[in-house]
Amino acid sequence: VSWAAHDLEPYAIQRHSVLKLAFVPLLLGSYSPDMMSKWFVYGIHIGGWELKARDPAQFHRGWPGLGFTHSLLWGVVIGLLLWKGTGSKIWGISFLVGQWAHALTDTGDTVGTMLFFPWTYHFHLGAWAYAGQTGRFTDAAAYFSGLGAIWDLMFLAYGLYSWRALTGRYFDEEIFPADRSWSFANRWIPQAALLAAYRAAFFYGSSRWIAWTIWAHVVHHFPYDLTWGGPHWVHAAHP
Amino acid sequence: VWAASAGRGPNLRVRGVKGRRVPTRRDLAIFGGYVLAAAVYITVGVTTVDFLLSFWTALAYVLVAVWLVPLTVSKIL
Repeated sequence: VSWAAHDLEPYAIQRHSVLKLAFVPLLLGSYSPDMMSKWFVYGIHIGGWELKARDPAQFHRGWPGLGFTHSLLWGVVIGLLLWKGTGSKIWGISFLVGQWAHALTDTGDTVGTMLFFPWTYHFHLGAWAYAGQTGRFTDAAAYFSGLGAIWDLMFLAYGLYSWRALTGRYFDEEIFPADRSWSFANRWIPQAALLAAYRAAFFYGSSRWIAWTIWAHVVHHFPYDLTWGGPHWVHAAHP
Repeated sequence: VWAASAGRGPNLRVRGVKGRRVPTRRDLAIFGGYVLAAAVYITVGVTTVDFLLSFWTALAYVLVAVWLVPLTVSKIL
């Protein structure tokens, strides 16, 4: 699992892509693989019932399960559907790029992703522990104690270095004209609010990186373990 | 005999956002507003972690904190 990386990567990708990309579908693509599955990985309570996958890692990344949402083919399929459904090629391509970024980033943990599904081999670097099966809070503590947090921090630092991509002028000149959905939304929502909405994912990613780090290391004193595959104080799942 | 005075510099320098290396005061003021909003968001989030779990909560918070509140205050003043 990755936490803030999926919020922050789209800004770096949009700024440096040789392709013309639309930000909204790029962000949507970056979030999409976890949209259907994450709630069932951590579990939810409805009344007195708990709904949770029996094997969260298998459900999230494996087959049988919803692991195909983290494959490159899934990005192509949904990207094509978006292209045909919206009539916008840029929406299809932008979604594809965002979804691929998510699928590739998640190869960093110990479970990895089935990049070339239907081939069910899990590509994984094993740089940080996959601990989704331990529940949301232990997962957060583990992630923000290992190399996953450093991966996120790189994108946070890079975003601040590329501060121009967050300015109003960049939004007016690059983001807004690249995607008709902004001008459509601008019929009802003022441009200043749209600019704030454009910055929201960066705000969310960077703020929650800091907040979870404080929560894990100041409030709860979980130990840092920046070794490969760590933190080793948590049981890491494997494919 | 006096030496010719040095020529004046250009009255206007046209430079796009891509070429700007240093943020303007206005950029820094806007950044300061976001930092302030982030400080409140982080404080609430650390004490009530459920607040950190949803992008939609963060989006709503950003719209209120950095757009709606300043807009309302500027209209009142």
